[in-house]
Amino acid sequence: MSWSIGKNIIRKDAVEKVTGTAKYTADAPTSNMYHVKLVISQHAHAKLKAVNVARAWDVSGVRAILLGQSSLPLTGDEVKDRPILAFDRVRYFGEPIAAVVADEPFQAKKAAELIEVIYEPLPVVQSPKEALQRDAVLLHENLASYDKVQYVYPEKGSNVANRVKIRKGTIEQALLESDVVIEENFSLSPSDHTAMETRCVIAEVKQDGFVHFTSTTQAPYRIKEQMSNYFNIDEGKIIVNAPYVGGGFGGKVALHLELIAYLATVAVGGKQVKLHYTREEDMVTAPGRIGLEATIKLAATKDGKITGAKLLYLFDTGAYSDKGTMISKAAAATCTGPYQIDNIWCDSLAVYTNHPYATAYRGFSHSELLFAFERAMDILARKLGMDPLELRKKNAILPGQTTPTQVPLNSSTVGDLPRCINKLKELMNWQEGTVIPIDDEKVRVKGISCSWKTSTIGPSASSGVALLFNPDGSINVLSGIVEIGMGAKTILAQLLAEKLKMDIQKIHVHMEVNTQTTPEHYKTAASRGTLMAGRALVKAADDAIRQLKQIAAQVLICSPDDLDVGYEKVYVREEPDAFVEVKDICYGYKYPNGYAIGGQIIGKGTYTLRHLTNLDRHTGIGKTGPEYTIGAQGVEVEFNTKDFTYKILKAYSVIDAGKVLNPQTAIGQIMGGMSMGLNHASSETFVFNDEGIVQNPRFRTYGPFRYGNHPDYIVHFLENPHIDGPFGARGVGESGLIGMPAALANSLSVASRVELNRLPLTPEFIWHEKKAGNNDDLV
Amino acid sequence: MISYDFEYAKPATIDEALDQFQTFEKQGKNPIYFSGGTEIITLGRKNRIVTNAVIDIKAIPECTVIQKQEGKLVLGAALSLTEVIEQNVFPLLSEIAMEIADNTARNKITLGGNICSNIVYKEAVLPFLLTESEAMIATKKGLERRPFTKRFNQQLQLGQGEFLVQVTTKESDLTLPFLTMKKRKQWDVGYPLLTTAALQKESRVKVAFSGLCAFPFRNEQLEHRLNACQLSNDERIEQAIREVDTPLLDDVHGSAEYRKFVLKNSLMDVLNAFEGADRRW
Repeated sequence: MSWSIGKNIIRKDAVEKVTGTAKYTADAPTSNMYHVKLVISQHAHAKLKAVNVARAWDVSGVRAILLGQSSLPLTGDEVKDRPILAFDRVRYFGEPIAAVVADEPFQAKKAAELIEVIYEPLPVVQSPKEALQRDAVLLHENLASYDKVQYVYPEKGSNVANRVKIRKGTIEQALLESDVVIEENFSLSPSDHTAMETRCVIAEVKQDGFVHFTSTTQAPYRIKEQMSNYFNIDEGKIIVNAPYVGGGFGGKVALHLELIAYLATVAVGGKQVKLHYTREEDMVTAPGRIGLEATIKLAATKDGKITGAKLLYLFDTGAYSDKGTMISKAAAATCTGPYQIDNIWCDSLAVYTNHPYATAYRGFSHSELLFAFERAMDILARKLGMDPLELRKKNAILPGQTTPTQVPLNSSTVGDLPRCINKLKELMNWQEGTVIPIDDEKVRVKGISCSWKTSTIGPSASSGVALLFNPDGSINVLSGIVEIGMGAKTILAQLLAEKLKMDIQKIHVHMEVNTQTTPEHYKTAASRGTLMAGRALVKAADDAIRQLKQIAAQVLICSPDDLDVGYEKVYVREEPDAFVEVKDICYGYKYPNGYAIGGQIIGKGTYTLRHLTNLDRHTGIGKTGPEYTIGAQGVEVEFNTKDFTYKILKAYSVIDAGKVLNPQTAIGQIMGGMSMGLNHASSETFVFNDEGIVQNPRFRTYGPFRYGNHPDYIVHFLENPHIDGPFGARGVGESGLIGMPAALANSLSVASRVELNRLPLTPEFIWHEKKAGNNDDLV
Repeated sequence: MISYDFEYAKPATIDEALDQFQTFEKQGKNPIYFSGGTEIITLGRKNRIVTNAVIDIKAIPECTVIQKQEGKLVLGAALSLTEVIEQNVFPLLSEIAMEIADNTARNKITLGGNICSNIVYKEAVLPFLLTESEAMIATKKGLERRPFTKRFNQQLQLGQGEFLVQVTTKESDLTLPFLTMKKRKQWDVGYPLLTTAALQKESRVKVAFSGLCAFPFRNEQLEHRLNACQLSNDERIEQAIREVDTPLLDDVHGSAEYRKFVLKNSLMDVLNAFEGADRRW
């Protein structure tokens, strides 16, 4: 029987959240701290001629004014290209130029408003293609001299921050020998995560030299590591607190506000300072979502076997690379979508432009590349006269085949795509057809996409879990996973309840992370919580079981090998009536005569991802992630052929989850992802003017999904276990999102009878494409 | 967060409000009248509205009236849009108001605040442009009653220190057949790409727009073309569109050219709706 796995366990953070008592970073009392306000660039690219701060000092309460300096370190995860405060030059609209520290927030704001910045505008680079032109303005003239990690390849004298090459088979031969070739261009602009909670940090240097941060972060341990690296502080003297995070979606992986807040606290003698972004700053100053321009060329035989793919992905990483270089790598590693293709040529680049810079975003390149690739699949199917799902099924990647980076797959490392497709067909009533007329104006249409995702994180990423027993036999779980809304800590409690065969109510998870006292979890990102922390937990549970058996063996006078743990007891396997209660031994055991043995049981476990490698620079051979989560997704849309408006009626996801640990939280993850994917596809994007200024950095013009906009979500899971995952689970945090943009674009392309190759899919865009594509009188 | 200091006054009568305005003005405080506050707060934090004194008119009894008297509906300027919608005394206005902002904001946004707003849409004026309505304005010389369409030219024409107290509408106009349509860039909440309000009176179609140009308007020539019954609908619309004499908005919500396409579709819907008017209404 299952104790907890596969059950709809109510989340451990549910009560605090539904009662509104959960505390987030910005909720900390603000007495006895100073406040920081930024001056941000009003230009996308300009020389800073002067920054005049004199008038700002006239505002009462101002304690410090910080400006960029050449002596400050350049920062960045892979390429150190970003000043903490702009120095000499600004490269994107919203870039921090100065920071004011004052007693009260309004004083800091008032002073910041009085700082006069004199700009000398420079030419603006607005797209990767523009950035790659021979005479393009360079964003970073000193690119070649920046510090960087070993396996990224910025190209000197260009705007290329990284280039990843995939060379598998011989593409030219495949193109020559095929019956059908298609080639299409796709694009999408940068956008934002728009998490409900805007970013915030509180920083302080205490008298003893310890540096404290409380931050809206998905990566508290990386703050510690990187701050140590940039400022030469002993890593052990940096303590990072991560309370609940109100949505991260990758955006809170980046080190950003902490750098400014550190400079600010140092400037005021270490006193506590708070920097809390407005929505506008959160959207444009902090890093956002990457943009993409892609060219997809596919070759196939008449019967629909894809023989070759020539792919160019140009990611718009904006002014700085942050995670852009790794995103270009992740895209290369899964560049073809979940298909077996023998001949692949792919160049995946991260390219600098004068847009707000990019960091991780849920899906980490996959929704972007799948938008391009899965659109191309539909275009190919049309050209072949083939059903789009049949084309996908025919080319589905299977155990025994190899990925674009030539990783051999087996039934554990890759899910079952053909079965996902079959299930999707059934759920969507595919045989009914994909275009169903409703009346003179409206049609109901269907569109689909397949998806896959693996993680691309450092080869040595690890996670640790500690289990502390209480005298009543209950257990506290300590894990460095940040609760960003996905419920991962509840999953850890479920895994432990299952391992110890005990009531989950007696398992307590500590929600807040403190890097001084909580075992490290690499980053709460990349759908790696359940795999990494889950495996660490299983190991910690085994460690606790071993200790429990050891002490119980002394009490029961038998070998530990004869014992089992369960039901809050340690019992003789063969004679369960012979047992000792866990609560009587988990703080040591006292004999009747007063002798005592043992002590508090503390279980520990760590897990490190196995056998991951960097990619070969010339061929891309290598392994970026442990397993692939496979899915087939679809949408059903009601489309108005007269005015090109539409309503999304239904959205479907069939995901091979390996093992569903908690159905409701899994469905919630998928549904949430689907809604993000759909709204990104239909509405969300930064709109830039000719000067590269973001025209819509606020909710009233950005176009978030509202409650009433949601379609019916239909979620179905397959369970082909990932043997390495805890109880067989695969990561599902991103799978709901990544196929949605392509599915929506595919449905609307069918509905409007014009290939829609750009996001977002607004009625105006469809109108525009229709107008360009035919001579209809549309005005 | 608003970084400048400002005083707050909440007078109980119209005269007190006018006096308060003068006092603040003499003190160089650049006063503004305040009712729901949504715009002052949101534009104030961006310093797009800067003032050192606000005068809240919500405690003035005349400003919160909602009643019918002498064949007219009287609506106080400080009524929230939610109140206007819930009372539903003017269905055309209710329908227009229901699409402004979102529910939380409508609980605060007032009728007068929307009519006098800085934001270009001011959709609440559309019903008053289409009906026999009057603006009741507090002036130094006392209450001044003027036909709404005369007082409204791109924005409500108010002298220094004056404020809108009420809007009245002829009762018989409240039940005329009407049609409203709000087209957005995408989905169902937020600013308009084009809001169209149409009303049929004595078999003539009247129509007013918000979001098409930089201010809401009604254009008599355009209506004249639209009512040219001897022509086909397509011809009427084509000619009507040519009468738009100010530049179309071209912004983040949509290009000018696309707005024209949406306008054309909306006008077609208006004509279709009123074609079978006798049956429908």
